[in-house]
Amino acid sequence: MTVADALLLALGLIAVGSGALVVTSAQLVRAGFYLVVSLGAVAGLYLVMGAELVAWVQVLVYVGAVVVLLLFAVMLTRAPIGPSRDLDRSALPAAVIGAGVGLGLAALLADSFRWTRFELPPTGSAQRVGAQVFGAWVLPFEVLSILLLAALVGAIVLSRPDLGARPDPEAAAVPVGPPHDPVDESAEVVARLDRIAARQADAQARVRQAHADKVAAENRAAAATVVEADPEDEVDPLRQQAHDIIFGAQRARPKVGEMAPESGTTPARDQDVIEGESYLVDDSKMLPGRPALPGPEKQEEE
Amino acid sequence: MHAVIPYVIAALLFGLGVYGVLRRRNAILVLMAVELMLNAVNLILVAADATVKNTLTGVQPEAWAHPVPEPRAGAVFALFVIVLAAAEVGVGLAIVLQYYRLRRAVVLDEVALHAHDHETDHETETERVAG
Repeated sequence: MTVADALLLALGLIAVGSGALVVTSAQLVRAGFYLVVSLGAVAGLYLVMGAELVAWVQVLVYVGAVVVLLLFAVMLTRAPIGPSRDLDRSALPAAVIGAGVGLGLAALLADSFRWTRFELPPTGSAQRVGAQVFGAWVLPFEVLSILLLAALVGAIVLSRPDLGARPDPEAAAVPVGPPHDPVDESAEVVARLDRIAARQADAQARVRQAHADKVAAENRAAAATVVEADPEDEVDPLRQQAHDIIFGAQRARPKVGEMAPESGTTPARDQDVIEGESYLVDDSKMLPGRPALPGPEKQEEE
Repeated sequence: MHAVIPYVIAALLFGLGVYGVLRRRNAILVLMAVELMLNAVNLILVAADATVKNTLTGVQPEAWAHPVPEPRAGAVFALFVIVLAAAEVGVGLAIVLQYYRLRRAVVLDEVALHAHDHETDHETETERVAG
């Protein structure tokens, strides 16, 4: 039992113990950190066995990158902080198979190597490993670089849903109709327009009713004043005569739609009548080709 | 150095990895267990390089290989396996995160392998939400 054996045993105990905690811990984040411990112990084993380059690459890649990536995944999937109960299946079949594989392999290797003692290789092997990688194994090295590139591209494509997304089959099933009509004539829009029109009609009816009530009230008040004023009027024939003179012209003026009087005198007007003459127009004459209105021509002939 | 110690350690780590892959339901924990198994393989390679290959004398190196005085093929293999593991965990975590984005779950038992159309997926989703 040498120092190297003692170191190997200690580091191996750490690696196996923390590995067991990785696969049994009920907390995701703790499993990740136990994985850090286990991989670090394995890196120590590499160091003891004289493979420094592998050890430091292990620390860099595994502890520095892979575990950080796993912890990022734990974070991004919103894993609960604290123990979660639904992490595991039933333990028995997995334990049987895992123990069978592990102990079987251990027994096989222990039986094949017994307690044979080997001399440790000299340290400082990084230069030799480099010569190997770029000498004998340069083709697998290049293939691995292509594989890393492919994995990079694949991970990016998987992570971005807008890259290489297949069209939704439901969306593809919908036939592409004519371009969207700016006048939307769907059922709910029509119903909403109907409701708006009904509301406006109600409001107009209310306003008309209020106006009619007001006018009726004013008429009643005016009738009351007329009734009060009537006795004075009856006893005054002169006033009645003046009334006839004043309002006779009003009665004699042509009504809307009548022909202008033949005499050529300007008809009596008041401010209630719309300024301008109105003539009786024969519709049957107007319709074809829209002839000119006959009224003003007649007037000019006279 | 007694060669049996790293070998047995590697065998036990591999067994733990197998146990973890079979036991765990969370996809990220399964990936962690896979990392354990890959590390066990790396340990075997480095141990074989340090013990068996180191003591082989009189064996001709590979005819197509560049002859080096002290071959360290085990370390080179271990490096290649580390690179492979890095690529594997990158793509695997991308798949897990994409699946989580789609279904809000990382549980491997509930991955519907045969439900391709959207209706069945939606039904299982609603069932899981309800149940």
